[in-house]
Amino acid sequence: MPRPYWKGYLKLSLVTCPVAMSPATSDSEKVRFHTLNRETGNRVVSQYVDSVTGKPVKDENEAKGYARGENDYVILTDDDLDSVALDTVKTIDIDKFVPAESIEWVYLEKPHYLMPDDPVGHEAFAVIRDAMASDKVVGVSKLVIGRRERAVVLEPRGEGIVLWTLRFGDEVRPEESYFEGIDEEADPELIPLVQQLIKQKTSRWSSDMVSDPIQESLLKIIAEKKRALKPAKKAAKGKPDATQGSNVVNIMDALKKSVAAELKSSKAR
Amino acid sequence: MAGGHRAQWKGFLKFSEVSCGVALYTAASTSERITFHTINRLTGNRVNRVFIDSETEDPVPKEAQTKGFEIENGRYIIIDPEEVAAAIPESNKTLEIEAFIPCADVDDVYFDKPYYLTPDKMGGDAFAALRDGMKKSKVVAIARTVLFRRMRTVLIRPHGKGLIATTLNYDYEVRSSAKAFEEMPKMKIVGEMLDLAKHIISTKKGEFDPATFDDRYEAAVAELVKAKIEGKALPKRKEVKVSKPNDLLAALRESARMVKAAESKPKRTAANANAGSSRDKARRASGKSAAAPAAQRKAS
Repeated sequence: MPRPYWKGYLKLSLVTCPVAMSPATSDSEKVRFHTLNRETGNRVVSQYVDSVTGKPVKDENEAKGYARGENDYVILTDDDLDSVALDTVKTIDIDKFVPAESIEWVYLEKPHYLMPDDPVGHEAFAVIRDAMASDKVVGVSKLVIGRRERAVVLEPRGEGIVLWTLRFGDEVRPEESYFEGIDEEADPELIPLVQQLIKQKTSRWSSDMVSDPIQESLLKIIAEKKRALKPAKKAAKGKPDATQGSNVVNIMDALKKSVAAELKSSKAR
Repeated sequence: MAGGHRAQWKGFLKFSEVSCGVALYTAASTSERITFHTINRLTGNRVNRVFIDSETEDPVPKEAQTKGFEIENGRYIIIDPEEVAAAIPESNKTLEIEAFIPCADVDDVYFDKPYYLTPDKMGGDAFAALRDGMKKSKVVAIARTVLFRRMRTVLIRPHGKGLIATTLNYDYEVRSSAKAFEEMPKMKIVGEMLDLAKHIISTKKGEFDPATFDDRYEAAVAELVKAKIEGKALPKRKEVKVSKPNDLLAALRESARMVKAAESKPKRTAANANAGSSRDKARRASGKSAAAPAAQRKAS
């Protein structure tokens, strides 16, 4: 379990419980390259130097500065920032519930897992979670996270709650101007064929669908290098399919062909 | 098409033997947040960042920097950028649909970034047929292609007249909710507690449009800075009172009672009154912050 990166309280009316939150996604498993000094083979690290004296600045002397004028900064400590006058720094107060599914997917920014942080709050947490689940609603609240106060949505899932931060209105581009020229309705004769094709190609979700072949190739390159052998040959990848269907003129024909092809291959299985 | 916006990617959307020209447009961007500058506490000066060798501590010029991979503590192997590039398959510019999955099967924690997917050039008929077929069958499509120098999986779903393609995070980037919550003791709430909580929820049901939400953080920080400059004591956050298991039922009953009282003489519930007062505070803060210098958008 990764270290929780936020701790605070979950609140519904007069019911309050301590909670901990951690992101659902992380890039800790990603192949990470570091910057090296070609001459020495050592890591290159960044260092802060004073812009006037040119001397290195120790970590403990680095502070956050709020610009109040040119070259004039008010230093803010973490304690200062913690006392900013917003209850949403520490408390997720659910003040609204909306039908599950009613929040547009484009607004979902980043998922987090929320769970009780102390046995004392376990039951209160479960009450809030189970009441949302049995009513098929999600909670709407706000929370200061990453130096912004964001709208968040709380969705019961299993024993816990998934908390989504939401994008702001000005972060989501208005869809109308992108979709304006598209036909409202499809040729009704094509739809049954598309649906037949969909049926043949429908499968259950699997995390194999989100594998990362490039990372696997990189890991292979690294493993080869590690064996301290000669430089790795190019990772031989299957030649990508060069056929382009841009010349498909008759969609109906193509759909029929597809359905037939899918039928054949499903029989072969 | 797409009203003069610049496409992030153009290529083909292919399902079985059918394909159509499509374009991807960024649907969401990240707006700026308040930034702080890093300051040397001892001198009050800003700091600059320099890159040095971790052993010799000499500055390393850009041209001497290369990429490497850590094989064990402190030991690195150098990897040429060309080798990395060679691992990336050539793009065939085709988003090929590998499978359709029922909408109910979608695990949204994989979602990364959304893109508007629109027909490009002559692709309109096949595009609309696919869109409406997916809508009717209540499925989304899973497709893959080389996008932005990575092999990406996207989830495509109908949205209004168009499609939205959301890039998905890789399997190793996502922790499943089942795993995250596995150590929590099982607990199921029934009876009066559940009924009371549902009653409280029923009084707070409504609609929510994320587009109308405002960020109060920057204004609140401006207010804090002002207090600090004036030498005022910064407000201490109120101690939060946690509901103890023994008091939980009482707290639920009291909440439900308040809700009833608020219903008989309309106006806000206690919880909302609370939210309301902090909103007022922020409004005052934003009013005052107009006077404070606002050079806060520069990079730190």
